[in-house]
Amino acid sequence: MKKLLLLLSVLVMVMGFSLAVHASPEEDRLVFRKFYEKRFPNVATEDFINGAYSIDKAGRENWEAIEEFPPYEPFMERGREMWEKPFANGKGYKECFPDGPGVAHKYPHWDKKQQMVMTLPLAINQCREANGEKALKYKKGSINDILSYMAFESRGQITNVVVPKNDSSALDAYEQGKKFYYTRRGQLNFSCAHCHLQNAGMNLRAEMLGPALGHTTHWPTYRSKWGTVGTLHRRFTGCNKQVRAKPFKAQGEEYRNLEYFLTYMSNGLPLNGPGARK
Amino acid sequence: MLIKYKLGILLLMIAFASGQVLAADQGKAAAKPQAAEKKAVAEDPRAAAANKIILAADAARKKAGSVGGEWRDTGKMLKKAKAAVKSGAYDKAIKLAEKAGRQGELGYTQATSQQKLQLPSYVTVLYVNK
Repeated sequence: MKKLLLLLSVLVMVMGFSLAVHASPEEDRLVFRKFYEKRFPNVATEDFINGAYSIDKAGRENWEAIEEFPPYEPFMERGREMWEKPFANGKGYKECFPDGPGVAHKYPHWDKKQQMVMTLPLAINQCREANGEKALKYKKGSINDILSYMAFESRGQITNVVVPKNDSSALDAYEQGKKFYYTRRGQLNFSCAHCHLQNAGMNLRAEMLGPALGHTTHWPTYRSKWGTVGTLHRRFTGCNKQVRAKPFKAQGEEYRNLEYFLTYMSNGLPLNGPGARK
Repeated sequence: MLIKYKLGILLLMIAFASGQVLAADQGKAAAKPQAAEKKAVAEDPRAAAANKIILAADAARKKAGSVGGEWRDTGKMLKKAKAAVKSGAYDKAIKLAEKAGRQGELGYTQATSQQKLQLPSYVTVLYVNK
């Protein structure tokens, strides 16, 4: 009997693992959400868009005080000017984004023509280069101005990443992003999941580790540590460095695929960027 | 008057020439230690050993990088090791390069051991209990 039970347990574990490996993006998302709902049963799902402040009461009070005079406002203002100002050829962002600046919820998406994940910063630079303008840097600088403005104009839109079923390359990119998320890296041998799934809500020195659900809804973000607004890929870079791994290139394939997976996990949550964090 | 003038020019020329010779000597003297240093680096067996270890460590770093497994500080360690060789601190250079090489090997092993997605048990259990 004992042997039978042991065999059954092993079978369940093996089946569970194989199910997990072959799960669809939607199954992944439901499991992701379920994990946090179990871990933090008193947090409303929509509140996860506030990151660590959804679970850290004292931190939330400080953050709400900061939000009374949002530190990202000057960036948004400069971004609005960028949006309005035509390029040297007379065209502008408006031609590249005909639906207006509030389109952050359409990114990232699978670009069938280019066979790659298209992010908003990449689309901004492709627009600039197509119009004879110099590409902006992807982590610091004025890309954060235009992103802040577009994020603000996109507030309230719902995250809705699609992995097209008829394009296996899109699913591959999603799976690569998922694998990245669960892969141990660096000298500390940590994966993204170690901090933001397994240890979400725990403290690293004085900082509380935020849940990954809702992680992508509020970018770009003003971080007090940076003293400025920075991009999501700048944050990815920082995370990798913190576990003592060599970071990948911002807007390179690795981080774009990671963004694709991570944003899909937040499908259904409203955008609330730009954000402010410690 | 003309003789005085010619003597004056002669003295000036001598002074200028001697100045040039002195400057050239000083230049040679300054160049000598550098050359000597290079010779010492080339001749010291520890320098050759350090350079060999640095090369091997750099190859290990690149190998780890080829599978996305390079660690943050490996490249920095190698830079420091190269600088240590230049300054003649061979023991320090060897120690740093050995550490960097080890990091390269571990980074490679870490990345290649996870070629397939490995979900943690606290996640897989949720797929089973959907």
